[in-house]
Amino acid sequence: MRRSRPLLGTYVEITADSSGIVEAGFAAVERIQALLSAHDPKSELSRINCLAHRQDVEVSAETFAVLERATHWWRSSGGVFDVVAAGERSLAEARIPRHSAQPRPAERDFRIVTLDGRKVQLAGPACLDLGGIAKGYAVDEAVRAMRRCGADRGLVNAGGDLYGFGAEPWSIVVVDPRTRRPVVDVLLHDEALATSACIDGSSAHLPAGADWLSVTVRAPNACDADALTKIVWAAPANVEELLRGAGAHAFGIRPDGRIEEVGRPALAA
Amino acid sequence: MAASWFRILPAAAVVAAAPAAATVYLSIPQAQAALFPGARFLEHPLTLSDAQRKMISRAAGAPAYDKVQRVWEVRSGDRRAGWFMVDRVIGKHEFITYALALGPDGTVRGIEILEYRETYGGEIRNPNWRRQFVGKKPGSALRLDGDIRNISGATLSSRHVTDGVRRLLVTYQMLLANI
Repeated sequence: MRRSRPLLGTYVEITADSSGIVEAGFAAVERIQALLSAHDPKSELSRINCLAHRQDVEVSAETFAVLERATHWWRSSGGVFDVVAAGERSLAEARIPRHSAQPRPAERDFRIVTLDGRKVQLAGPACLDLGGIAKGYAVDEAVRAMRRCGADRGLVNAGGDLYGFGAEPWSIVVVDPRTRRPVVDVLLHDEALATSACIDGSSAHLPAGADWLSVTVRAPNACDADALTKIVWAAPANVEELLRGAGAHAFGIRPDGRIEEVGRPALAA
Repeated sequence: MAASWFRILPAAAVVAAAPAAATVYLSIPQAQAALFPGARFLEHPLTLSDAQRKMISRAAGAPAYDKVQRVWEVRSGDRRAGWFMVDRVIGKHEFITYALALGPDGTVRGIEILEYRETYGGEIRNPNWRRQFVGKKPGSALRLDGDIRNISGATLSSRHVTDGVRRLLVTYQMLLANI
């Protein structure tokens, strides 16, 4: 069966063999939304944004795991992936609200974030936006929950960040963001696929002036696939090394419609 | 050297055929059974006057298109278990029918997408693409037929459904809360 619910600011679709497994998957996504939503004033992320510049904020294992992965990608990408810079932009462009107890951000660089134990500190008022990595993490959590329920196959798709598992591969099409026409297909087998495209004003985590229409990353988990789409977009010099290190591959659609694998010569469209 | 892990679909194999087929997740009775197991449903459609629609739109900050709002009172034994509403919203690329379940006090108990239709786009007509499913696991619970397309694409915002739910909650407050 296949179900879809509006979560994480997109449509989360779960395909599995029983309604119990589907519910377990959605429950995991709802939990991550409750922890990491910048829109929810009661989320752990909002607590960090409101308080962590004044006092330590203790967070759940899940929030901590996402922040650790965000730290890894910030460091290894030479600052290209930065959830503090993204938060400042999202706030400035009113894509996320500033809650009543939340200070205006004075910082726009991830270096002000300190993780210690399960505690988060900010060296100054800042706004973190985990939109560039949390959807992927939520997909991974849903898959873990479904497997704990005994699922031997399933597909979780959070608006383009997806993971498919089971004995049979899942066929996924990637569409041209301008026409929504399918242009590529990929068979996924216990792996994640994430696509980021520059349309609909949802490019907060994508650097401006890029030369792709969309970027698709295949990786062992959706959290890394999600973050890597943004890094591939920004094209730091070590992008191929970062992909290799994560066991990931990437291709993108150029503005003229050509499809190119990152780190390989251009392919005929 | 050709990439092996993804395949570029030949343009000729992809026939632009708008609108693309809808993805149907749940029928109305299936959604009712999922959201209120074992309950009875009494259809109670609300015919909205122009003035009412205007008031609802203004209070919700979201457009109200339909003159008739589909509503069911949900009964369990001899008491009211809540309300079940079916609504549709039009997004930038998509047309969505969804169901909203409310408890007897108007709190949201669940939202399920019933049908999602892309308003433009292509449809897979590539026989090779479909052939890969033929003969795999007969009788499998996951029906991998032409209707199932897993798309990784630009993130679609669910803002329109969020707006729709806000409008339905205003509709509930104005027209159902005191019934």
